[in-house]
Amino acid sequence: MAILAIVFNLAVLSSFGQSPQISGTVVNGQAEAIPGVTILEKGTMNGTITDASGVYQMELTTNDPVLIFSFVGYKTTEVPVQGKSRVNVTLEEDVRGLEEVVVIGYGSVRKSDLTGSVSSVKVESLKSTPANSIDRLLQGRSAGLQVINSSQDPGAGSTVRIRGGSSLRGSNSPLLVVDGFPFGEAGNLKQINPADIVSVEILKDASASAIYGSRGANGVIMITTNRAKEGVTTVSVRQQTTLSRFSSELALWNDPVLMAQLNNEDRVNANLPPLYIGATNSNGIYYPSVAELQNGEWPHFTRWDKIVFRDVPVSNNTTVSVNSASQRTSFNLSLNYFDDKGVYIEDDYQKGIIKLAVDHRVFDNLTLRTSNLFSKNYRNNNGGLAYYRNPIWPVYNEDGSYFLVGQNDYSHPLALTNHKTNESNGVDYISSWMLDFQIADYLNLKSQVNYKYGSSVTDQYNPKIYTESGDFNNGAAHLSNWMGQSLVAETYLTFDKTFAKIHKVNLMAGHSYEYSMSRSSSLSSYDFVNEATGNENMGSGNPEKNVHSNSLSKTKLLSFLGRLNYSLDDTYLLTATMRADGSSKFGANNKWAYFPSGAISWKAQNAGFVKSLNFFDELKFRVSYGISGNQGISPYQTLSRYGVEKYYDEGAWHTAIGPGYIVDYEGDSDRFRVWGGIPNVDLKWETTAQADFGVDLAFMDRRLRLVFDYYIKNTSDLLRERILSLSSGYNRMWVNDGEVENKGFEISLDADVVRKKDFNLTTSFIFSRNRNKVVSLGDAVTSGLNTDFITGMKYEFWGTSLSTFRQNPNILAIGQPVNVIYGYKVDGIIQSEDEGLAEGLTGALAQPGEFKYQDLSGDGLFNDKDRTIIGNPNPDFTASFSLSAEYKNFDLEIFLNGVFGNDILYQNMWGGQAFNMPLRWTQDNKTNDYPALRQDRTYYLSDWYVKDGSFVRLQNVTLGYNYRPKNRQWLSNVRIYVDGSNLYTFTGFKGYDPETGTDGIYWGGYPRLQKWTFGLDITF
Amino acid sequence: MKTTIFLLFMTLGVLIQSCDLTEDPYGFYSEDNFYKTPEDAEASLMFAYNALTFIEYARGIFYIGELASETCNVKADEGYGSQQLNNWTADANNETLTYFFKYCYIAINRSNAVIDNVVNSDFENVVKNRLLGEAYFLRAYNYYNLVKTFGLVPVQKSMVKSISQTSPNMATSLDELYDFIIEDLKQAESLLEIRQRVGRADKVAAQALLAKVYLTIASSKESGVAKYTEMAADVNQLYDEAAGWSAKVLNDQSNYAFDENLLHIYDIDAPNGPEHIFIMSGDRTGLNEGNYSKIGMMFHPWVDGNPYYLKNPDGTFIYATHGWEVFQTTSEFYNTFAENDKRRTDLLVTSVYNAGGTEVGSVGGKIKAPFTRKYVDPEFVGQKSSTKPYLIRFSEVALIYAEAAGPTGDAYLWVNKIRARAGLGDLQPGLAAGAFRDAVIQERAWELAFEGQRLYDLRRKAMVVEKDPKAIVAGITEAQAAFYPIPQMEIDLNVNVNSGN
Repeated sequence: MAILAIVFNLAVLSSFGQSPQISGTVVNGQAEAIPGVTILEKGTMNGTITDASGVYQMELTTNDPVLIFSFVGYKTTEVPVQGKSRVNVTLEEDVRGLEEVVVIGYGSVRKSDLTGSVSSVKVESLKSTPANSIDRLLQGRSAGLQVINSSQDPGAGSTVRIRGGSSLRGSNSPLLVVDGFPFGEAGNLKQINPADIVSVEILKDASASAIYGSRGANGVIMITTNRAKEGVTTVSVRQQTTLSRFSSELALWNDPVLMAQLNNEDRVNANLPPLYIGATNSNGIYYPSVAELQNGEWPHFTRWDKIVFRDVPVSNNTTVSVNSASQRTSFNLSLNYFDDKGVYIEDDYQKGIIKLAVDHRVFDNLTLRTSNLFSKNYRNNNGGLAYYRNPIWPVYNEDGSYFLVGQNDYSHPLALTNHKTNESNGVDYISSWMLDFQIADYLNLKSQVNYKYGSSVTDQYNPKIYTESGDFNNGAAHLSNWMGQSLVAETYLTFDKTFAKIHKVNLMAGHSYEYSMSRSSSLSSYDFVNEATGNENMGSGNPEKNVHSNSLSKTKLLSFLGRLNYSLDDTYLLTATMRADGSSKFGANNKWAYFPSGAISWKAQNAGFVKSLNFFDELKFRVSYGISGNQGISPYQTLSRYGVEKYYDEGAWHTAIGPGYIVDYEGDSDRFRVWGGIPNVDLKWETTAQADFGVDLAFMDRRLRLVFDYYIKNTSDLLRERILSLSSGYNRMWVNDGEVENKGFEISLDADVVRKKDFNLTTSFIFSRNRNKVVSLGDAVTSGLNTDFITGMKYEFWGTSLSTFRQNPNILAIGQPVNVIYGYKVDGIIQSEDEGLAEGLTGALAQPGEFKYQDLSGDGLFNDKDRTIIGNPNPDFTASFSLSAEYKNFDLEIFLNGVFGNDILYQNMWGGQAFNMPLRWTQDNKTNDYPALRQDRTYYLSDWYVKDGSFVRLQNVTLGYNYRPKNRQWLSNVRIYVDGSNLYTFTGFKGYDPETGTDGIYWGGYPRLQKWTFGLDITF
Repeated sequence: MKTTIFLLFMTLGVLIQSCDLTEDPYGFYSEDNFYKTPEDAEASLMFAYNALTFIEYARGIFYIGELASETCNVKADEGYGSQQLNNWTADANNETLTYFFKYCYIAINRSNAVIDNVVNSDFENVVKNRLLGEAYFLRAYNYYNLVKTFGLVPVQKSMVKSISQTSPNMATSLDELYDFIIEDLKQAESLLEIRQRVGRADKVAAQALLAKVYLTIASSKESGVAKYTEMAADVNQLYDEAAGWSAKVLNDQSNYAFDENLLHIYDIDAPNGPEHIFIMSGDRTGLNEGNYSKIGMMFHPWVDGNPYYLKNPDGTFIYATHGWEVFQTTSEFYNTFAENDKRRTDLLVTSVYNAGGTEVGSVGGKIKAPFTRKYVDPEFVGQKSSTKPYLIRFSEVALIYAEAAGPTGDAYLWVNKIRARAGLGDLQPGLAAGAFRDAVIQERAWELAFEGQRLYDLRRKAMVVEKDPKAIVAGITEAQAAFYPIPQMEIDLNVNVNSGN
């Protein structure tokens, strides 16, 4: 009896102590369970997710609870509990993609309602490849987006372009907006862990980017990071270990005998004494003879590549994140440690990030969101070591000191690794605070304050003997500091209401204020008695040789912005935006700039006659036009500026200050100075006007989706330096004068080929074609333009100068794309002196075995009139293809990326290279492909060096296995995977890798690295 | 509560928003924050002097003044348009001429900056006068360089502050230009005191330059040089003016004087020696070329690519840097010196030695031609030397006086003093004015050899074609040799300048 009472009491007690529980199963239209569905108790942060069998269970905390079920690809469903203890739900597929929401500037919009050209990148699949910043991973993932990863150094950034480059002096990088914070230029978003990113949107046309006004001309990349998720408590660990190896062979001299023979031939043909003759040369270095090398008398053969490169660089990337939610608050804490080992020994990069995001529901309609991130990075730069050093030199002398080739040997890899210092430490802090106030259900106020702080310190020491500057100055120490911060405060009001069921109006108005500042200082000290302290005690150098410099710049931007989105009957859409920017950088006469845009769109699939065809799931036509700007100008550029020089007076150096400061150097070895300093109060931003025509199509239950865009982008008022007359006392001043045009089209095709229960296969294909043209460079005389002799084309030299050819290879020419290559033409190799003379060549240039330069001008002489355009580094088109398959618990992704029609200037193709030097012209080998060896030859830039750089790269293959335990206890999901990057490159280019910068110049370096990543993702 | 928070945010928002978009210069000087004190003006004056030290200007003095005369030829592979200058084939695109033109105007703009800002300032008169005086001198000095090199040139009388001022008009006549130069110099002369300071100008410098300017006009007009013949003033009056101003230098002050020791004039440690009325500044401790000098290396031969020693007349040795032998003395010019002329035996070097005193190079062997040792700096560091080009020397003023005064007793006295220092006997007495002046010109050629003067002496006596065999080969006329063409870059970029001028 008593036992019964106790049991009864216990039962009663337990039912009082517990809150009501709810459970159930979630299935789809085919009665299949859906794991991972989020169930949220409406009005709270309380929730849970379904397990592998689609089952969920949670406590309820409110009176009259309502459950919200949501999952990607399905329509969000709300179900009131109404006292039930079990709620089962069947989720309806979001076939029309109506639910998919896309983040645009100052708001978000349903994808189906977009009037502008915006691409969404699916980031989940990108995360299997570790990278320092998301920029690298976006290569080939969006039509119209060009990402060039020419550097493979640890921590390196990328070059990012949307729809071609249109600025000459200003930046061509798109604006990066991270969670609504206009962050800066795209290219190296190292502060944000790619694993924390949930979506990336690329805003390409004016309708989408003009809302960013004077910074939107190059397009905008919107990055959204993971917020504190409502209703879920999870801990997840992501671990990636990456092994790198070269994807092709290094070009090395494996046969020292052949190397010595060819080198001797090279020098003898130039009337120079050969080196490999078994004698000590004028620098005191003994070069063995060819015979000595042949019969093994010479004991040294050093594999420098084995010394300079790591055998297998192993990098690590670990992320641990915790997401937890209670009734009113949720937080997300994410920790990341990234350790990237470069392929050179001791060339490293390490980064740690800690990020805390907290969402708090202050009231039902007022949410406070904050995110704080701290990141620290370290880079030890030991790259560029000479793996191609002469193999006959030993590493050490017999006494253990480094073997140096003469007095001026500054490239001994181990001496540099052990004695030279080049490291930098950086710190970043980003904080954002946002208030989201739903004033009424049609009126929302968002106010956001973002703060960003970054600083870095670089330490360098160049030791005596082993480095040039150290040798010249008896030790050179450098210490430089940089600090930058910016504050952005934005507030905007959004009005969203539908009238009479068919008039949907969304009106946004707001304003933004941005203040940014950066300062830097650098110290250099020389002449150290004792090098043991490196640059740690700069005061111990010779005080008379100290050099210090510093700088500071401050800018302010004040803006007003607004947007109207109007939709009639969900069929006709209209968008209009306007932004007014006032920038402190603009000249006094042009402080304010206005950037409008407009777009209209017709969802033809909702029109009667199209509906009746029953063919199109979506048929949307879009037209947009707008104006955005590129700030381009540096701060203070519009003001007059004096220069500082030194004058020796009364036995001491005095500071002399006056009008005119050095803006550039020119002439042979940059020996002449170029002066500027006249103010230009009219200086303003560069203006880009863009028109876009697009069509979005979907068929077969949206299993086939096609997006097509055609655009024309015209950038005018380009910042240029105008050349002034000599009698003005100055040389250059900044003006707005010049025009570049970009036009092209983009196609992106997605297909859900197979969609079954256990197996699905999707493919996607992206194609982009951009044509770039320099329309005008200002007045030919005041811009100092040259005239091409043969065609009369006006041009100017641009970009980097190559000392081998004593000219800049790239030019800006009216009517041509930016950066076309300008030089001579070669028609094979001269076989006889008569042949050379007949071509108009003289002297040494007319000898057999020399390049047969062509006399294009037809004047019988070979001179600088015989130059023409010989290459174009801009691609004809780019394309990428990806295939994703899921079979039961396995997933596979294959991604191919290709660039076509770009020319590369293989500028170091000839000159001591093991793979082609033996193929040279000789009397016995009268080839037409390669010239003879002659070390004192004067080389001219010709099309012999221009090669086709088209390539298709098997960029990524990922194979993964997901394990989802049946009963969701402590382990929710485990995924293991293998990811291979840069597996193979199909190309005709004979250098290491055809991915060069936008100027097409190939610098050598080392082969592209194949990276194998082994990854493990565990979610608890 | 809700409304409170809402209002709070709105106010915060508004407060942040009110901001001023004007930029204040940070970290650099501009008209907003400069020219406030006499120290500022002094720094600005030094900035103007500094324009003369850039290689485009400093080396230009030698490229133009020496190569285009019979004194020397240029090294075969020297660029920068030097071959054209040497061969009298220089055209409007010549690089050296273009850059020299550019830097004269940079110096003029910098001088104008001082003048414009100091003229209306409230600095103490003593300081103000000196600053203005030096600036006027510099402006005149540079216009004089321009006119004697190019003839009619654009005239810029005030500092350039906006794009509308960047196309100055050409002078319409030589009178206009020279009147401007003389006016500036007279102002300078009255404002300045006598103060010897290396790298700076003073009253005496202004007087010396005035004398030289008058002499240039006088002898040019007298010799029938193109455009000078149209000038208003009378030749004899001009000569008298020249004689008057140079006499002031010779007789009315005691800071500058004739240096009895020929070698001492060129002693690197004595730039403040009695001869140096106006000398360019610089020091081997400078950071960039211009702050230090490489002029010595342009004259010295290469030999073995290592420094060597030169023998002094007293048997001791002086250390010298090797060089590129850009300027190669012609044997014709070398042979015009008398064999016992110390300016040949002591100042033109034919042999170099090593530390032990053994000869390591000589003319005909490793040295192509006798070279001048006027620019030796025994304490050079690498390629940096403290060499300071001699712009105006007392001895030159003496010769100006002699030439201007004609064959008077005083004039002969000065000429003979110079000859005696060089170990020569007196000049033949009783010469007529024309012959006397020709003899003084010849004395100038020997005394001022390789100091950047010869071309201008040839021009103002209309004897370029007569004396320089390369001019004959080039087939130019004396009228063509009188002025270099205005650089093409100026014609292209300055709408107010046509090639017709």
